[in-house]
Amino acid sequence: MARRPGRRHSDEGVRFPLALTGLCLIIAALLLWLDRPEARIEPLSDARAGFNDAALPVLQFAGEPLRGMGNMGPWWRRQMELAEENRSLRLRAAELRAWRDVALSLQERNRRYEDMLNVHGPDMGPRISAWTVADQSTDFVRSRLVAAGTDQGVATGLPAVNIYGLIGRTVDVGRQSARILMLTDFNSRVAVMADRSNARALLVGDNTDFPRLEYLGRDPDLVEGDRIVTSGDDNVMPRGLPVGEAVRDRDGRWRVALYSRTAPIDLVWIWPFDAVDAPGSALDERAPAQISAAGDPAAPPASQPAAEEGR
Amino acid sequence: MRAPMDRRSPWPGLLAFVVTLFLAMLAYAVLGRAGATGPILINLPLITLFIWSLRRPWFISPPVLLMAGLLQDLLTGAPLGVWALAYIAAFSIVRDREADGAGGDVGPVSARFAALAAIAFAGAWAAGSAAIGAPAALGALISEGLLTILLFPVFAWVFARRRERSAFS
Repeated sequence: MARRPGRRHSDEGVRFPLALTGLCLIIAALLLWLDRPEARIEPLSDARAGFNDAALPVLQFAGEPLRGMGNMGPWWRRQMELAEENRSLRLRAAELRAWRDVALSLQERNRRYEDMLNVHGPDMGPRISAWTVADQSTDFVRSRLVAAGTDQGVATGLPAVNIYGLIGRTVDVGRQSARILMLTDFNSRVAVMADRSNARALLVGDNTDFPRLEYLGRDPDLVEGDRIVTSGDDNVMPRGLPVGEAVRDRDGRWRVALYSRTAPIDLVWIWPFDAVDAPGSALDERAPAQISAAGDPAAPPASQPAAEEGR
Repeated sequence: MRAPMDRRSPWPGLLAFVVTLFLAMLAYAVLGRAGATGPILINLPLITLFIWSLRRPWFISPPVLLMAGLLQDLLTGAPLGVWALAYIAAFSIVRDREADGAGGDVGPVSARFAALAAIAFAGAWAAGSAAIGAPAALGALISEGLLTILLFPVFAWVFARRRERSAFS
């Protein structure tokens, strides 16, 4: 009887060989262990970034129909023109909203400057616009893939915002792509505060849509609806980025209703941010001789170059 | 005139398998953005793998499942190994030499798929929870699993049902 090539009627063609199955399971388990989000090894992170770079054009191409899905049919064309106009107006409104947030942030910073002398805030560079290419949100990870990488100035750990507020920070940055770890992700931790009372807390993602507020203290000065912004205490995010509103869940725990949930996260902005040097770090970089000289009132200030001494 | 069975090359089938699996992965990665309030996901790669396991069981081997799972993890941003472990475990348990390769009626095939999907999603939940160090939220995973199982009969009716052949086919 003629047999189809490759088709086997014996058991080994259908059942999995035990050794091979075991080996594959071991490889998968090993990768799972090495790629835990909290302790991901550098080569795997680089490999992910490289893969995202390679997959980006394909994902962009495949995602285009979703963007243009409404452009079908003659009657819908006019509707889509209106929708387009509405969209551009929304973008302009979003720009203004972003400026309002910047103004609020600067106002708050100025108040701090008035209260305390010699306080230097973080420097914010021009923001980098990027389109979301793929939504990589599952029950295990909440992230987005965006079409901007090191070539556009994106670096690891930069804050990413949409038109309403902070959405997360960049991880696994490739040349043309980056992944944004959302505030809702299990591994997200951001220092925040209430705008009204300056009550500090840590915003902890737990893979739900409403991240928790932790380390609030025993009697926090917080009321429902308080505007929550980044505090900058962690030196990971700049101070004053809008995050959301404080809400209580059914168990009475404080959570945050994120502003970023108000609109689909499609266009995002990544904000280059220079962290403030930790106190003492500049001192450590100076030569021990300069440090000892700085302690001597008779010695010249450390800011004066050594060349002056040779004059 | 039809070519004799033993002269047929396996390569067209293999190519079709690779292309359909790739498209399913791509759709799975991209369609997550379609939901306005949240991702609406159907596990298309699992459906594709299962249907191919019915049509060409020798395509579906542990290394293929490992690679498919890893590719899905990379595309979805999940920790590497989550879906690879789930697929290998599920297919190893549910594989049935009497049914594989034969296609079949939509009902029994769908029932088998439901069992496979349940094991795969449970395995993914366990592996994902181990990776993130805490029990993962079940809501979205359950809705994805249910949607996948409920919509599978449509795919089964189109691609996997046993077709009655006439005397001339």
